[in-house]
Amino acid sequence: MADDVITRNNVRVSGRGTQPMLFAHGFGCDQNMWRFVAPAFEDQYRVVRFDYVGSGKSDLAAYDPQRYSTLDGYAQDVLDVVHALDLTDVVFVGHSVSSMVGVIASNREPERFARLVMIGPSPRYVNDPPYVGGFERGDIEGLLDMMEHNYIGWAGFLAPAIIKNPDRPELGAELTESFCSTDPVIARRFAEATFLSDSRDDLPRVAVPSLVLQCSDDMVAPNEVGEYVHRSTPGSTLRVMKATGHCPHMSHPEETIELMREYLQPALAA
Amino acid sequence: MSDAAGVRERTLDPLLDQAPAGLLSVADDGTITLANATLAAMLGWAPGELEGRRVDAILSVGARLFWQTHFFPLVRMHGRAEEVFLVLRAADGGEVAVLANAVRRERAGAWTSDCVLMQVKERRKFEEELLRARKEAERARAEVEEHAEELRATNEQLEEQAVEMELQQEQLREQAVELEAQADHLQALNEALQERTDEADRQRNAADEANRAKSAFLAVMSHELRTPLNAIGGYVQLLEMGIHGPVTEAQREALGRVERSQKHLLRLINDVLNLARIESGRVEYVLEAVDLAALMDEVTPMVEPQMHAKELALEVSVPAGAVARADREKVQQIVINLLSNAIKFTPAGGRVRVDAGRDGSGTVRLAVADTGIGIPAEKQASVFDPFVQVDMSRTRRSEGSGLGLAISRDLAQGMGGDLAVESTPGEGSTFTLTLPAED
Repeated sequence: MADDVITRNNVRVSGRGTQPMLFAHGFGCDQNMWRFVAPAFEDQYRVVRFDYVGSGKSDLAAYDPQRYSTLDGYAQDVLDVVHALDLTDVVFVGHSVSSMVGVIASNREPERFARLVMIGPSPRYVNDPPYVGGFERGDIEGLLDMMEHNYIGWAGFLAPAIIKNPDRPELGAELTESFCSTDPVIARRFAEATFLSDSRDDLPRVAVPSLVLQCSDDMVAPNEVGEYVHRSTPGSTLRVMKATGHCPHMSHPEETIELMREYLQPALAA
Repeated sequence: MSDAAGVRERTLDPLLDQAPAGLLSVADDGTITLANATLAAMLGWAPGELEGRRVDAILSVGARLFWQTHFFPLVRMHGRAEEVFLVLRAADGGEVAVLANAVRRERAGAWTSDCVLMQVKERRKFEEELLRARKEAERARAEVEEHAEELRATNEQLEEQAVEMELQQEQLREQAVELEAQADHLQALNEALQERTDEADRQRNAADEANRAKSAFLAVMSHELRTPLNAIGGYVQLLEMGIHGPVTEAQREALGRVERSQKHLLRLINDVLNLARIESGRVEYVLEAVDLAALMDEVTPMVEPQMHAKELALEVSVPAGAVARADREKVQQIVINLLSNAIKFTPAGGRVRVDAGRDGSGTVRLAVADTGIGIPAEKQASVFDPFVQVDMSRTRRSEGSGLGLAISRDLAQGMGGDLAVESTPGEGSTFTLTLPAED
């Protein structure tokens, strides 16, 4: 079972420390997105990275549409990895949707987790007045529409006709791999599970100290949302970053590392 | 990157503004650092208006999400992106579809994503094709609709008829359901009946089989009993004849009793044997012309001693011409049996009368009437059953096997005739033998 999960979720372990730091990627990518941040913690932590089933180099055969139709299924992936490596005292680092996945997982088994680091979290993307998520349902449809075009639609279909690349046949394969999810149906389902989720009720039950890293000018998870998360989550610390956008670990890795270290250092000392 | 740097860039390469594709540079933090005049025009902005704005400003909402979750990570992690479909948002809010190719490179000391944006006009061509096809289809549909009016009128009539037919069909269906229910009921009854018939057949077959077995058993047993009885009779006669020495009067009397008992027993056994033979179908009939008057002449002397003993009067009235087609011996046996019964069950001083004649329907009839005790109506049907006597308490007085009438009727039926009884208790009984007439 343990080995199965290691293979299934493409689990990679590195680092010289003992306390585990578990990195969970967000929707649309895979564990590679941690490339600029994770190495910085290898001297003090046991760094664990993985791909959710359906993403990156995970075992697509293990994909169960029912299980992964809600974030619970993804939280189970996290717990499966935790059990497979028998991790305790885990510092969980989740980007975007994985922040809520970490909340769900730690609520289920709080004894396994020491800290949550949430990068650009949002418990609900769709507005629900007076709650502001930043999106209307139709906006989410726009994303799904664009994904459809890019995964199976015009780009792949028309590209050869518009710009011939006979000397670069690897292009197609690379493009597909770059999107981190080879199956458009799986990607669409992940998108729906992510952007149509509502994890607001999970926040007050969080029993683990947490750090909320809120970017400036993040149109995916606006400031109000980060503040909402901080307000609703007991024991949380909110840090608003200089970094803009939604992917500070990729666009501003130094600041991300620095804020994480600042937050975690007292924990290590303790 | 400052606006000045952006302006300088464009100034350095004025050709970029003339390029047929949109050119866009975006810093990692999402700031637009360069946009050529082609892109600005594509989106309805003036040249130089886009620099310094966030890239979100020129992306549709869906594209913003896609940019953050796919496009930027792709360019950041792989250094480039090819042929990514994006929907941009123009200044007037309209949408502009483009295919984006991007390369990540260092520009003036900062990392940017340099994008080439091709408006997907080819896609438009496809869309126009689709539109033309759709118009084609719409015109065809319009033509169809012209005819549709006529068709509609006809259709309405048809629909009315259809409704009526449906009503009729519904009625028929209801009737069919009712009939089906009745049919089911009948079927059930039929099955029950068939079951009962089958059961009756089975029981009859079982009874017939048991009867045959019984008859076979009786035939064998009777034979085994008769052999030693005949030996007893033979040795009694030898003793009476004094073969083994002189016989005293007392001994002779005792021998007489033994002999009578032996004969009685032998008669019983013979009766049993006869019935068994008849019932197991092993009796052969020799059919010939039997004159009933002549037959009575032979039989009468045989019963006269008993009649005298009970002071009974015998009247015989058999006309000439009453001739049956039958087995003479069997008819004689039947008549003797009927007369014996009449004598047996008629009190002293009574009367026995024998009538015979030819019926119209090809049969002859011989009736034996007595003035005896009679037979109650409810017992009349069973007097022909084996081992039945009307009054079992009389059995001792009226010795017999109880087989006589059963044997007689079986024999009569075996010859194509029958034996029947009429009786009034206290007044007497009349047994009537019918037989096929001799032509």
